[in-house]
Amino acid sequence: MLLNVYISHMFKMMFSLQWKEFNRGKAVGGKLVAKILKWFGIIYFAFIAFGMGIIASFPIEEDVIAPFLYVNKQLIYVFAYLIVMRYFIQSLPILNIKALLLTPLLKTKIVRFSLLKTVLTYFNILPLFFLIPFSVLLAQTGKFDIIGLIFWNINIIGLIYVTNFFNFLLNNKDKLLYGIGGILALIKALEYYSIVDLTEHSEQFFYLFYSQPYAVSFTWLLVFWLYNYVHKYLIQGLYIDTGLQAKIKEAKMEDFSFLDRFGKTATFIKNDLRLLKRAKRARMAVYMGIGAIFYGMIFLPSEEILGSGFLFFGYLFSTGGFLFMFGSFVPSWDSQYYPLMMTQNIEYKEYLNSKWTLMIIGTVISTFLASFIYSFFGTNAVYAVLAGAFYNIGVNGYLTLWAGAYTKSPIDLNSSANAFGDKKAFNAKTVLVGIPQMLLPVLVYFFTSQYYDHFTGCLAVAILGTVGLLLKPIAFNLILKAYKTEKYSTLEAYKTN
Amino acid sequence: MIKIENLTKKYSKQTVLEINSLEIPSGQTFGLIGNNGAGKTTLFSCLLDLIKPTKGKVINNDVEVSASESWKSFTTAFLDETFLIGYLMPEEYFYFIGELRGLSKIQVDNFILKFEDFFHGEILGGKKYLRDLSKGNQKKVGVIAALIGEPKVIILDEPFANLDPSTQIRLKGIIKDLSKYKDTTILVSSHDIQDVTEVCDRIALLEKGKLIKDIKTNKETLKELETYFKG
Repeated sequence: MLLNVYISHMFKMMFSLQWKEFNRGKAVGGKLVAKILKWFGIIYFAFIAFGMGIIASFPIEEDVIAPFLYVNKQLIYVFAYLIVMRYFIQSLPILNIKALLLTPLLKTKIVRFSLLKTVLTYFNILPLFFLIPFSVLLAQTGKFDIIGLIFWNINIIGLIYVTNFFNFLLNNKDKLLYGIGGILALIKALEYYSIVDLTEHSEQFFYLFYSQPYAVSFTWLLVFWLYNYVHKYLIQGLYIDTGLQAKIKEAKMEDFSFLDRFGKTATFIKNDLRLLKRAKRARMAVYMGIGAIFYGMIFLPSEEILGSGFLFFGYLFSTGGFLFMFGSFVPSWDSQYYPLMMTQNIEYKEYLNSKWTLMIIGTVISTFLASFIYSFFGTNAVYAVLAGAFYNIGVNGYLTLWAGAYTKSPIDLNSSANAFGDKKAFNAKTVLVGIPQMLLPVLVYFFTSQYYDHFTGCLAVAILGTVGLLLKPIAFNLILKAYKTEKYSTLEAYKTN
Repeated sequence: MIKIENLTKKYSKQTVLEINSLEIPSGQTFGLIGNNGAGKTTLFSCLLDLIKPTKGKVINNDVEVSASESWKSFTTAFLDETFLIGYLMPEEYFYFIGELRGLSKIQVDNFILKFEDFFHGEILGGKKYLRDLSKGNQKKVGVIAALIGEPKVIILDEPFANLDPSTQIRLKGIIKDLSKYKDTTILVSSHDIQDVTEVCDRIALLEKGKLIKDIKTNKETLKELETYFKG
């Protein structure tokens, strides 16, 4: 009894510590906005999951069992996706532990608190929004064994927790993750060329928990075993020279002197290339840029439902992914050493030009890859990709840079945990700039292609981009002015890092 | 030379810096001393146009720092770790700074070579990025980088703090050597009265943003400062 009181007291203390960390942390305002946006996002996804749960239960050609089998088929991918998303988004609560080490708190308690805190994260709750309506609607058909359905749910929840604890082991092991990604791609390819269809096995596997409810005990044994294993693993890491120590990679000199012919611009581009290679957070921007190349694929199958405008948006984003991911955080990438940049013998113009050039290089590479990939979907797709690229280079490059002058959130280059949760200073300007960046080209394309044809629509957008490119000196002067007036407040904002 | 006129910095109603007039002739090694919150770093930040003063102006060799950027070509500084680029190796960082000051790689190499002693074998040829170096070693890199390219004005904020004894002594030697050049103006701040009296020709004492004393260093200076701070 006394022990219980003691434990609950400790938990209360730790919670209050956690709350203070959030509440008193620097840049509270931005954090709060980011938190609110995050919760909007979570509610949005909850709605989507709920809707999908309802839709997925609709019988396929009068066959009420079919939806259940179909969902079981796809579950293997859902879980794979969950693992990857967790790795990138779910930050692990191993913060502030150093200060707790010397307090009378038992280490097991510190670890248990860290682990149990993850039990209620939205990753574990969101799937319920799908599972519950889906299961209830299936049960209503009367064709299902209710007990079986309940255990099927319990099993899936168990597997969700398996991925939850598995994530702790994955943390910081990039290579392992790439391995999983590679295997998944292989499986998908095997399925696509109908060599081996893994989804058949997925169907059988997950169906088992419906037909043989006792099988669920294996899943939950695995959950508890994994919990214990991670618990032990984390306790071992509670020394400042093991788990709590940031890993130091051996440094290697990199010589980009072949870029020197571009003059002062090259000086900065060389640095930014090193940034992209060596800083975790910046590498994320590259990965996301590569991922964005495939963004158009999402809209391809639904062109008839959503209309060509959405598809064009997809193409626009697939060439501009890197531009947005990298460009939106200029100058925040340099936030940790902005005072250095501001006192060196350089002109703002050269600095901005180098960032712009890098964004354009990224866009050109994305365009090459994207036009190759989408060439499989016909010349019309390639026209749209190229038109999007022109617009990204000629217009979006400037707009992103300009908005950057007002984005005053420092970036911690060495953490990847916050890649999405960045308090990206959601001021009105950064949101408004999205209209000319995205909406304008899509509308121009949409109306021109409605009156004329697809090609003319693309041409119109490409012409806009070309005009933008010709106006570079004017655009740069405006950007420069914005950066100069914002200089002091930017420096101030970065200081509260 | 550096001229400060009616420089005031206020945060809401609190005045953190208020200097009516201060002139630092070129070639002088100028020390700034004061307790925490005296305004040393604020003053340096104003000199480097990192903070916009509420009132007044700073003129660096005939350039008003907030009006033109041309002072950057002859001024260098190392205030804190925000002057380091964490993901670079020390050599890469030196080359980067060198390039910005118009030096080739070989020129930078030759320049750095002179400080091998100072680096004590812990900086060059290592396999670490700046972010992974200890605070002391980071400071060594930052201070030496501020000397690259024969700047006319060098501003160092607490260069001696965090350094081991040998390095402190060597750094004092380096600064004394530099001060022999007629046209190199050096501004140094410190918490240690011994350090500043040792290297500086002139010492200014700041207290709550105001200039309390302005002394040409002599034999009595150390005692004078000691008495003040015992206060």
